[in-house]
Amino acid sequence: MAAEKEAEAQRLLNEAERKVRGAQSFLGGLFGGSSRLEEAAECCTRAANLFKMAKNWSQAGAAFSRAAQLQLQLQSKHDAATNFVDAGNAFKKADPQEAVTCLLRAIEIYTDMGRFTIAARHHVAIAEIYESDLLDIEKAVAHYEQAADYYRGEESTSSANKCLLKVAAFAAQLEQFPRAIDIYEQVGSVAMDSPLLKYSAKEHFFRAALCHFCVDMLNAKLAVQRYEEMFPAFSDCRECKLIKKLLEAHEEQNVDAFTDAVKEFDSISRLDQWLTALLLRIKRSIQGDEQDLR
Amino acid sequence: MSALPRSYNPFAEDEEDDVVPAGPGGAGGADRQRYLQQEVLRRTAATADSTTRSLSLLYESERIGVAASEELVRQGEALKRTEQMVDKMDQDLKTSQRHINSIKSVWGGLVNYFKAKPPESKPEQNGAPEYYANSRLKEAMMFSKEQESKYQESHPNLRKLDNSDNDFNKADLDSSVQRDAYPKNQQLRAYHQKIDTNLDEMSSGLSRLKSLALGLQTEIEEQDDMLDRLTKKVETLDVNIKNTDRKVRQL
Repeated sequence: MAAEKEAEAQRLLNEAERKVRGAQSFLGGLFGGSSRLEEAAECCTRAANLFKMAKNWSQAGAAFSRAAQLQLQLQSKHDAATNFVDAGNAFKKADPQEAVTCLLRAIEIYTDMGRFTIAARHHVAIAEIYESDLLDIEKAVAHYEQAADYYRGEESTSSANKCLLKVAAFAAQLEQFPRAIDIYEQVGSVAMDSPLLKYSAKEHFFRAALCHFCVDMLNAKLAVQRYEEMFPAFSDCRECKLIKKLLEAHEEQNVDAFTDAVKEFDSISRLDQWLTALLLRIKRSIQGDEQDLR
Repeated sequence: MSALPRSYNPFAEDEEDDVVPAGPGGAGGADRQRYLQQEVLRRTAATADSTTRSLSLLYESERIGVAASEELVRQGEALKRTEQMVDKMDQDLKTSQRHINSIKSVWGGLVNYFKAKPPESKPEQNGAPEYYANSRLKEAMMFSKEQESKYQESHPNLRKLDNSDNDFNKADLDSSVQRDAYPKNQQLRAYHQKIDTNLDEMSSGLSRLKSLALGLQTEIEEQDDMLDRLTKKVETLDVNIKNTDRKVRQL
């Protein structure tokens, strides 16, 4: 079944190539070359869909790219961009690097046309590929930032904030704490004012305070005071109480108190991996200080 | 919390019951008393655990609600953008309609010249309902906060707590056999305090959840209206596009 489809698809590809060659010849150019190119592009798309059905992702991706190139020659940018996106999606399962290239080309076309929202969405898709398949965090961060900029340009602040939050999480992982702190504080202060988003503001301030903590304890204390002034509801929440307990434990260099506070918090609300990693880092800094004192 | 009255009252009753037969039924009474105290301890510990579990469930719900609200806000923005684009498309279609008219005939072009240019329609007043919803939500929040303080004052459980505390003190002062029960009392007191703090947190958590849910409801209603408007606009747009397409083919 799959082999049949593949054979059919291959046949269509060959037909398309023939049409292209025909269109490029002198006579073809005279007698309506563009319609031949259109037909060739259509053949390529059909072939690509058949490859997709046969689950031959790399061939499908290649066919979509070919179709897109033909459509670029035909000056139909929209169709070309859509085909590049399809190619990217097909390559995602086979060759992530190639997928990124196709998606980048699609983004070029979209930004040229001024469709920044769609371009931003594809930047997010590329960043996700870098995050999961290619494991290149720096590039993922760059793409998330670009997506956030485009979203902000199009006044979609919540989509922009979603991308920025991912940037901040990665920045903290890469130990670029000032950047993470800026983003969390900014998103937190914006969230404070919205009636629906203010319930997530405490989460953002909590993460900002933890990043401050990783840098310097005094910073964290001042930051917590500042957040309490800005956002009175912050002082009631459990996260704030946890931070205060951790600050105390750090001052007294008491690792056990630190661990107890964290365990108590964890027993009620699970701490996710990012938070656990950051807390471990802070704990190690306490133990490191202890050893220095000895 | 039906377990709570049970753990409060039996202990208070037992204290007073056991004070009386302290002299005569000595050994049997002490055994039964110890058994009952252990039972009470066990039940109070179970209650404390249950409240902790409920608390964690509450926070979990809050987290889910927060995530839902963020998604909803993002969706609202996307809908707004879609509406703007649909309006723009409508404008563009009107312009192209005029061009078609001018192409079709010279007379049509003259008519166009004399017809006033279609005015730039202002974007829908989407801002106004939003502000209205904000103030309504703020009122709901303030109202629920007031209710909460009134509720706490009149809550029967809290009143009962004061009574049984008094019973505690009376029993301790009266009985002489209760020496070894002292630590148990303190342990019990610690449990009760933990239950109380948990219940307080639960009540504040529930009120927060309620405001969150109210906010979600407002946002969803708003988006519902927007979706209805959008559907109508898109349908008219669809018809217009088909008409324009037909006219272009006829040229």
